[in-house]
Amino acid sequence: MKKIVGLGVAAIVVIALGFAGWLLLGRNPMAFAPGATVALQDYKGGNVSGAPAQLANADLVQRGAYLAHAADCQACHTAPGGAPYAGGFAFNMPFGTIYSTNITPDQQTGIGTYSDAQFLAAVHQGIRADGAQLYPAMPYTSYTYMTDADALAIKAYLFTLAPVHAPAKPNQLSWPYNQRRLLALWNVMFNPDARFRPNPSQSPQWNRGAYLAEAMGHCGECHTPRNPAYALDNHRKYAGALTAGWRAYNITSETDSGIGAWNDADLTLYLATGHANGHGGAAGPMGEATDDSLSYLVPDDVHALVTYLRSIPAQASDVPRTVTAPAPASHKQGVGAGADLRGEKMFAGACASCHDWTGVSPVTGYATLTGVRAVNDPSATNVAQTVIHGVNRKTAEGKFFMPAFGEGYSDDDIAAVANYVTARFGAKGAHLTGSDVAALRKQASQLPISHEAPHG
Amino acid sequence: MLTLTVNGQLRDVDVPQDMPLLWVLRDHLNLVGTKYGCGIAQCGACTVHVGGRPVRSCQLNVGDVGTRPVVTIEGVGNTPHGAKLQQAWIEGAVPQCGYCQAGQIMSATALLDSNPKPDDSDIDAAMAGNLCRCGTYIRIRRAIKSAADKSA
Repeated sequence: MKKIVGLGVAAIVVIALGFAGWLLLGRNPMAFAPGATVALQDYKGGNVSGAPAQLANADLVQRGAYLAHAADCQACHTAPGGAPYAGGFAFNMPFGTIYSTNITPDQQTGIGTYSDAQFLAAVHQGIRADGAQLYPAMPYTSYTYMTDADALAIKAYLFTLAPVHAPAKPNQLSWPYNQRRLLALWNVMFNPDARFRPNPSQSPQWNRGAYLAEAMGHCGECHTPRNPAYALDNHRKYAGALTAGWRAYNITSETDSGIGAWNDADLTLYLATGHANGHGGAAGPMGEATDDSLSYLVPDDVHALVTYLRSIPAQASDVPRTVTAPAPASHKQGVGAGADLRGEKMFAGACASCHDWTGVSPVTGYATLTGVRAVNDPSATNVAQTVIHGVNRKTAEGKFFMPAFGEGYSDDDIAAVANYVTARFGAKGAHLTGSDVAALRKQASQLPISHEAPHG
Repeated sequence: MLTLTVNGQLRDVDVPQDMPLLWVLRDHLNLVGTKYGCGIAQCGACTVHVGGRPVRSCQLNVGDVGTRPVVTIEGVGNTPHGAKLQQAWIEGAVPQCGYCQAGQIMSATALLDSNPKPDDSDIDAAMAGNLCRCGTYIRIRRAIKSAADKSA
């Protein structure tokens, strides 16, 4: 009898260790690439960290500004309509709300008193100056790969900002998530606390792209699914995830649900500008990532990102192959019986004038729905969010605007039009209900609704 | 300097590429029949034809027009369906205040151009984005049907 119990305990221990090992193996975002890595100082392939060659003669603060954009500090450390970098942006998580903090050099409420060592501890280890653990909403498990020099260049830039007095908003978390100390344990498991190690068997461009994607841009924080402990699960690297009420799509090299079928020119253009004809435009969090971060990258760095993205192993996800043919010109054709008539009415009144019944906009490629992944996503998550929040981006290419319908239309209306749009222009219609839309509104409640009529 | 084809004429305009076509028409070409309503493509008052398609000119940057010909309410009477619709509009005394009517006629003309015999559902699908605060919808529908009958 004792033997059987002993075997049972041993089996449980083996399974537990195996699971822990599986989780640990999932924490290195660059482990997929074949070849051994070397320490950065031993790498002979040129500079993979730091600001690009164009800024070789720039001063520390200018380089820090470039790197702060590359790391996209601003998007999360700025509340809608608030002072840049003064914090207060809400992360609505399944277990409560966390607010980003003030990283302007204010002495009382910002990081004005941080020493270099304290700043590095926050960026690499998630430990703030008073020794408390930061929540991993701050992507220190990605930033941990950043070099000390780059982190300190960002600090130098942040310290040139005007100090803003903005006390941290208290987080609203339930037990046990409000116990910061537990994060020490989480960090042992999920923060490698190691700097970027180049991989000489990959090209210098790949290494630069890996540094930009992982240490700086932290793409995986939205695009990689999370494990049960809410850490990134790099077994399914970049396979897509639902983050803050928006779906971050599969950006692996998978042909149907990933970006394997995109050509280099489109991918480069999309990263640099947030739009490529035939693929639609970035909205929501990716719109912010474009406008606050990716659009600042020099062309060489965008190309490096493309090189790196191309190498990500394919992962299938649940978004079907994108429909690239326009819908019929007549509203009577194109959606089968059982189409949502309420959705059709809404589309006729509010959408068809720009998006057209075919989905090919006579106004601008930005408004073309044909070929856009969001309308091919049978969850219709991003379609519903775009209808609620609209789009209001100012890019180098011009303004990119869609009205926000969130305050004008009910949850049922928005569900109906999202279901109709996915049925008409995508591979498979969604079945959202009004309560689904209500939940989506809550998850993305930190996003501003764009009231502005830019041509008014 | 941009060159546009407006109502069959070549017109040069010296405006920024990102200026909405509506303001080019109204402020630079003095074609004030096209109206500004909501500014966010939700009312239809600014509808013109670009490349034969009905387009909300408040949302179309002039730089995106390219070589596509532009037709406004001032020129649509020179097209067969436009002429019939304007006649039907007069006979049916469609407008009340009139502010939305240029856009209504432009959308209706584009409808007949692509579908000369629309049924009620076609009219709804094509005209739903053109709002009329006076509520002339019944007369608009009647005028479209009357013009379509005359096209036979």
